[in-house]
Amino acid sequence: MESVNWTAKVLAVTGKDITSEFRTRFAVNAIVMFALVTLTVVSFALGVLSPSGEIMAAMFWIILFFAAMSGLAQTFIKEEESGTALILKLSCPGTIIFFGKFLFNLLLLIVLAVLIVPLFIVLLNSSAENWAVFIIGLLLGIIGLAGATTIIAAIVSKASIKGALFTVLSFPILMPLLAAVIEITKTAFIGGTFGDISAPIQMLIAYDVVMITLSVMLFDFVWRY
Amino acid sequence: MIWKFLIYLSMTAVIILAFVTTSPMSPASASGDSEVYRIFYFHVPQAWVAAIAFLIAVFFSVRFLQTKNIDYDIKASTACRLGLLFSILATITGSIFARMTWGEFWNWSEIREVSIFILLLIYGGYFTFRSAVSDEYTRAAFSAVMSILFGVAGIFLIFILPRVYPVFSLHPNDSIIDESGVITMGSTVALIFALSLVSFTALFLWIYKISVDINLSARYRAGER
Repeated sequence: MESVNWTAKVLAVTGKDITSEFRTRFAVNAIVMFALVTLTVVSFALGVLSPSGEIMAAMFWIILFFAAMSGLAQTFIKEEESGTALILKLSCPGTIIFFGKFLFNLLLLIVLAVLIVPLFIVLLNSSAENWAVFIIGLLLGIIGLAGATTIIAAIVSKASIKGALFTVLSFPILMPLLAAVIEITKTAFIGGTFGDISAPIQMLIAYDVVMITLSVMLFDFVWRY
Repeated sequence: MIWKFLIYLSMTAVIILAFVTTSPMSPASASGDSEVYRIFYFHVPQAWVAAIAFLIAVFFSVRFLQTKNIDYDIKASTACRLGLLFSILATITGSIFARMTWGEFWNWSEIREVSIFILLLIYGGYFTFRSAVSDEYTRAAFSAVMSILFGVAGIFLIFILPRVYPVFSLHPNDSIIDESGVITMGSTVALIFALSLVSFTALFLWIYKISVDINLSARYRAGER
């Protein structure tokens, strides 16, 4: 088995998750329906009001954050509940599992973003003035979201009150990410340039790198239980 | 015994001196009554001790992950408990300080207030999580991993965010050490402040040592050594 390289193993884990997801569609349903419902409620509540671009940027990330909270823990909880966690632990080292699950969560969030952004524009009548800034901010934010929450999902899968605990534990860790990414999206919505957001972008990249590195280092300690 | 008396004496001295000497803020540059600024002698050391408590918890968490010795987990969780206490104190004195000088008890656009709130959430999540897991080693390992994750996120929140967004901070950045590294407090003020810092740290370490001894011997007595 030494001939199978690292990337192939990671993609195998992700592929397995995608396949089982296609069969049951639990996580995708949870995330997309939650985001749709939140979007509808926000749109309904705002009615004829058209708040400024800054407020809409914050709304966008509220919807994305809570949808992520509802669905991202599913990868590990599903393993625990279907009894396959032990086999997974025996089959590969923790780092490979981490990257496989991280890529899966990333794909989940990309699917969510692709669905939500057009609906957001249509229902709430608000769109980004500067698309390049918006897309870059969205991508970096999603990478950070998936990166920081994968290890928390692994921790929470062994506890007893999974859903609420996941949100409670993730929020303090995601706070710096949310602060930076909402700032970037606000700038995108009101039409700023890359120069305006150099500080938040640097902090966001730093956060992404630090959190993913830390998660990789700590994942084995969590995964062994 | 000697430590108890020394701490009692120095704390009493701090409390008396804080009220007897002239206020640390001159009436010219104070917003509001300059007498109120005396709370600075208590508020800053409490926040400082809360940060130290958390650093101690992170240190013992790392030691636990290295050695798997449950004693380190007890030391880490005791540090977190005391850190929570001092954070609550810092929040209360900070809130009173804010009401007297900036006019409101709480203001979400003040980044340091947001940071201390997130710190309280972190401690709350930590203890919620500990109560949700029943197995001792699992709980210890997961708490250790989480305190390290929280610690890094906390560094982002407490040190990096306020510097990146200085417009969001009403806290003066130059009351202790200004930009050229010179201490800007007057000598009496500096003396009382240093004494207060030392007293609060000594008080914390004394309470910490007693709590750790109680918790370790409780576990020993229960026969789990």
